[in-house]
Amino acid sequence: MSDANQPPPPGPGAVPVPTPAEERITDPITEVPPEAVETSYEPVPDAFDPETPRDPHWFKTAVFYEVSVRGFADSNGDGYGDLRGLIQQLDHLQWLGIDCLWLLPIYQSPLKDGGYDIADFTKILPDFGELGDFVELIEEAHARGIRVIADLVMNHTSDQHPWFQSSRSDPEGPFGDFYVWSDEDEAYADARIIFVDTETSNWTYDPVRGQYYWHRFFSHQPDLNYDNPAVQDAMLEVLRFWLDLGIDGFRLDAVPYLYEREGTNCENLPETHAYLKRVRAEIDRLYPDRVMLAEANQWPADVVEYFGDPGVGGDECHMAFHFPVMPRIFMAVRREQRYPISEIMSQTPKIPDNCQWGIFLRNHDELTLEMVTDEERDYMYTEYAKDPRMKANIGIRRRLAPLLDNDRNQLELFTALLLSLPGSPVMYYGDEIGMGDNIWLGDRDAVRTPMQWTPDRNAGFSQCDPARLYLPVIMDPIYGYQAVNVEAQRNNPGSLLHWTRKMIEIRQRHPVFGVGEYVELTASNPSVLAFVREMGDGEANHWGGMDTVLCVNNLSRFPQPVELDLRRFQGSAPIECMGGVRFPPIGELPYLLTLPGHGFYWFLLPPPPEPAGDELMR
Amino acid sequence: MRPLDRALTTPLADWLPRQRWFAGKDRAIGEVSIGTDTPLAGGDPAAGGASLRHLVVDVRQGDDWDRYQLLVGERRGELPARLRHSEIGETPDGTHLYDAAHDPGLTRVLLEGIANGTEAGPLRFHRAPGAEIEPGLTGVPGSAEQSNTSLIFGDAYICKLFRRLCPGVNPDLEINLALTGIGCESIAAVRGWIEMDTGDGGEPVTLALLSDYLRTATDGWQLAITSVRDWLADPGPDGHGRYPGGGPGSGDYLDTTGRPGAVGIEPGRDGHPVLDAGAAGGDFAAEAERLGAATAAVHRDLAVAFGVTVAPADEVRGMARGMHRQLDEVSRTVPDLAEHADAIAAAFDALAEQATDLPLQRVHGDFHLGQVMRSDTGWVLLDFEGEPARTPQERRALAHPLRDVAGMLRSFEYAARFLPAGDTTLSPEAEMGLELRARAWADRNRDAFCRGYAEAGGADPAANAVLIRALELDKAVYEIRYEARNRPSWLPVPLRSLARLAE
Repeated sequence: MSDANQPPPPGPGAVPVPTPAEERITDPITEVPPEAVETSYEPVPDAFDPETPRDPHWFKTAVFYEVSVRGFADSNGDGYGDLRGLIQQLDHLQWLGIDCLWLLPIYQSPLKDGGYDIADFTKILPDFGELGDFVELIEEAHARGIRVIADLVMNHTSDQHPWFQSSRSDPEGPFGDFYVWSDEDEAYADARIIFVDTETSNWTYDPVRGQYYWHRFFSHQPDLNYDNPAVQDAMLEVLRFWLDLGIDGFRLDAVPYLYEREGTNCENLPETHAYLKRVRAEIDRLYPDRVMLAEANQWPADVVEYFGDPGVGGDECHMAFHFPVMPRIFMAVRREQRYPISEIMSQTPKIPDNCQWGIFLRNHDELTLEMVTDEERDYMYTEYAKDPRMKANIGIRRRLAPLLDNDRNQLELFTALLLSLPGSPVMYYGDEIGMGDNIWLGDRDAVRTPMQWTPDRNAGFSQCDPARLYLPVIMDPIYGYQAVNVEAQRNNPGSLLHWTRKMIEIRQRHPVFGVGEYVELTASNPSVLAFVREMGDGEANHWGGMDTVLCVNNLSRFPQPVELDLRRFQGSAPIECMGGVRFPPIGELPYLLTLPGHGFYWFLLPPPPEPAGDELMR
Repeated sequence: MRPLDRALTTPLADWLPRQRWFAGKDRAIGEVSIGTDTPLAGGDPAAGGASLRHLVVDVRQGDDWDRYQLLVGERRGELPARLRHSEIGETPDGTHLYDAAHDPGLTRVLLEGIANGTEAGPLRFHRAPGAEIEPGLTGVPGSAEQSNTSLIFGDAYICKLFRRLCPGVNPDLEINLALTGIGCESIAAVRGWIEMDTGDGGEPVTLALLSDYLRTATDGWQLAITSVRDWLADPGPDGHGRYPGGGPGSGDYLDTTGRPGAVGIEPGRDGHPVLDAGAAGGDFAAEAERLGAATAAVHRDLAVAFGVTVAPADEVRGMARGMHRQLDEVSRTVPDLAEHADAIAAAFDALAEQATDLPLQRVHGDFHLGQVMRSDTGWVLLDFEGEPARTPQERRALAHPLRDVAGMLRSFEYAARFLPAGDTTLSPEAEMGLELRARAWADRNRDAFCRGYAEAGGADPAANAVLIRALELDKAVYEIRYEARNRPSWLPVPLRSLARLAE
């Protein structure tokens, strides 16, 4: 079809990407042109080119970006962000190098639980737009090489959902058995109450039906009855509805709780896994490149069950969040030693071949100690309670920059860890520019303020009267929108935004960050976390062949020396990724590096130069 | 002596004193003689191949004889560049001799020998019961060691070659093997060992110990120093770091305003600041507590493996007399100690007065932060050799387990004061400020360690206050003598700690 001499079209074929002339001046990442750094990998085929097969493993090397539609951009001036606003800002995300958007709930909802209380699975929340806008979002995102996944709650609905309304008023009707009803509130007594602050029981009496209904979360969120085959089918129908519209997958909220069984804690039951397997089989059959991302806030050894059978590469969820790694990063840097991270990495089991962890530094939620095992909670409390600063900061909802005292070195170190530890990184909107939070809003909304685009009115988020905004923009002197915004940082090549983009770009060039083995190195200095990410050649390698990256992180605020045992890579001359500088070749002796406070290095370890053939023969 | 021997002993006499592990650096070598000489790996030197000889040499200095174990490599012609630094010398026939510990091509023989349980001359290689060994890994010498040489094979095993040989089984092997046998998790499991028949029917001499290598572990001292560094650098009441560089006229060390916002400083009842080392981000207390628990577990296993003996009160009184003797000796030579001597003597008297029967058992014997390592899963205790300066009998002597606890408490005192030690640029006010911080850190971690130890079933230090106080003061007096003789600039470290303990 295309002329072999012609350069391939830039990414998406159909929709031209606007590249204004002035953009090109600041746009290229200048320090190292990609071709200056030796890479042995061929780019993964563009998944959205209709001529090429879609890549079923895309999520293993993707960078995710979590966005609250409400907080991102307002297109119609009503003070609420909406889907059309998001579409208008897709260029920013493409420029940043994002592969996949994760949308917080977008469905019809009374919004008593941030949209996790869904009142209609097939309608968009009117504040956000309508289905047509969603379809356009998918098309526009795909045209830019960006996929879109969205939150979906399978476990329960809002009590406003027609299913529940019908179930309570017509017990004998088609939806009568859609929820878990009981005459008593005694059953399943071993299931803990998750929201202990607001709920006293997992049962609530419904005066309309005259029975109790079961709910693991808020009492306005009745649990669906998955023992009813009609519920199982109805939920599959919901999934197909969105998949047919082109969505690339779901972040499945609260998956461990689908079923209830007497005498158990009603979590992680075999029936729940069986249903997830059924969902996965359906997706594999009809939508082979879509992804299921499980939110199971459990210890990694338990979460691993949600990947399914390792023998077939995993047959439940493609991805699951690795919850403990985030607090451990904070802890390790506060303690200036690597053990919190080393320990959790060594306790993390191997996952099936076709699966991937999702890791994050911050998201829309706090670190929820309620939703972890007792063992983990004890550990967290003993570790954190000793440090009042930790208790004050990690336990509540703060953004990354304020948590790190807006210290650029730490922001860079944390981001480097996020982008290099095993798993696909999930960034939280605004963290790429170091946005602040507003603790006076109450902790739910503190980190959900409008995205700061420009130094203009309402931070460029909306044209509305400022008093109409769903939440005020951040206005303090350090993090306020006049100082911290996308426009200003786009114009400043030294900004956090440009730096973050550069790091993402390096990561994208090296799929090994997503799919390579993680091997921690023996480092002489406990304040230094050093590891290699490596992948060998071979048939199973879809990512362009052997590649090795060495990551060295100084968790201390003081400069540190470190001696690394790199004998395995003897002869290789490390190349620093940011600047492309060649470092001295690795010899037999420990490799000595010095790092500035909170400094880090990423090195490529190219294979050692091969001796000339005839030399070898003698 | 055969000419071949002389070709070896002459360069050795020159080379030995330059080795870190050679004990008698301060005295001239009178004589070197070869005890045993065992070829371990062939190789035809004429063809450029290397060969390995295992040597036990006797070295005379004055009237004392010491035995050392050597691995000598031999090669014809120039040594490759990577081995040149380990050259011992050249024989008249042009064979180069070198320390074969640095030649992975030769040391692999040791691992293979242990894996196969081979015998070579008087040398016996043993694989530990039930242990599996993957031969074929290459070994490189570790860099940290003082008195021995350790070879790290791949990242799986570590083989400690005892350099200076003592008669009989080395307690390090004896204890680690016994603890491995009963499944103790807080040690590095033994994979095998090498020993040598003495030829006179006596106990074989331990030559080497092969254990699991703790790949990503860090020693406790490093980790504790990381915490102290953080604590000393946390901002004080005026927002300046405590150390280093409190700024000109660092009077802030004595600031008593306790302004809010300063890490770890709360105004106390009398308006003086109360230093809370737990408020520092680099807090070590959780680790100290876990270390206490691991120590208690090892003590329990040692009691199971080697038994417990009860020492009558009389023996305890004898112990107290010994403590007094050392105190008198050191007080005479170190005048700074004199002002605390009465308080210390009172502690020893209390031990004698309240003497009761004491359960004694095998202990670590030289327990401090440098003898423990934090692995990814927990604390591991190493080096059960006892204090290096003692005789083999003394090293195996039974003791109360709180002796180890006292040793670790001393180590916390040292760690707390190590960083600023020897810094002569500090004003007296700054020194005092740092001392207050050091005390807060040491107190916090001592308490945590003791708590972890007692909660895991060890003898509760709080319930044995008289005993542990006497043991710790005795050790402090020993340290003061050591520092006064060897590192006078460090003398303030144990002295300041003593001032605190003797309060």
